[in-house]
Amino acid sequence: MTEREKMVCPACGVEMNLHAEKVDYADAAAEGEGFDPDLGGLVEEFHTCPRCGRTLARRAA
Amino acid sequence: MTETRPLFIPVVLGTVRQGRMSEHVARFVFGELTKRAGVESELVDIRELNVSTSDEGGGAKDERFTETVARADALVLVVPEYNHGYPGLLKHALDTNLKEYIHKAVGVCGVSAGSFGGTRVIENLLPVLRELGLVTIFWDGNFSSVQKAFDAEGKLTDAAYVRRLEKFLKELVWMAKVLRHGRENVTLEGV
Repeated sequence: MTEREKMVCPACGVEMNLHAEKVDYADAAAEGEGFDPDLGGLVEEFHTCPRCGRTLARRAA
Repeated sequence: MTETRPLFIPVVLGTVRQGRMSEHVARFVFGELTKRAGVESELVDIRELNVSTSDEGGGAKDERFTETVARADALVLVVPEYNHGYPGLLKHALDTNLKEYIHKAVGVCGVSAGSFGGTRVIENLLPVLRELGLVTIFWDGNFSSVQKAFDAEGKLTDAAYVRRLEKFLKELVWMAKVLRHGRENVTLEGV
């Protein structure tokens, strides 16, 4: 996993917790950021705020 | 673990058919769930969703449903068994979200007119729920001969369902708490 800046909760301003990665095969045709040729799709990261519970996603590096 | 925020566990009524007996089940489950301390709920009727049937995924989203799922810690799906399968419109509605389900608990209440209590629809639904990123519990709700389990007004006629549902809900709440803790505190980094 590449080291990246932590996501920050837009509501609480605290660092969010990265707890999951998932391949999105539906967008496999878009070979942009996050596309993993070994896994055959775009990999997304899921981050949840420890204070308010909000979850945000971003493409993996 | 100290819980300061109540758990939010919506109940999804998974059929749009007229005369659906599953509505009685959903209202019963919703009633029992909201009796529990520290739990909030909402009854989501897929008949009321504004989900386009000529599009898929994000293009068919009902924003309110998406917000409800995003806020949820767990879901209860009340699902009738139609020819051993799940209602197509429930699957269509579930497929409009994805990110909102990750690492959240789900329990299924199967409903059938016959004696198997929706066991076959539950088994068919499990791989779908897994792919959506939900975490299934090992207790199910099995409402068999549902036409006899409730009277015409929707009042439960078989009190045994109260104890059965209590076991189901205890497991679901436990899983919801554990997964909330995991989402918020247990990191994937360095694993």
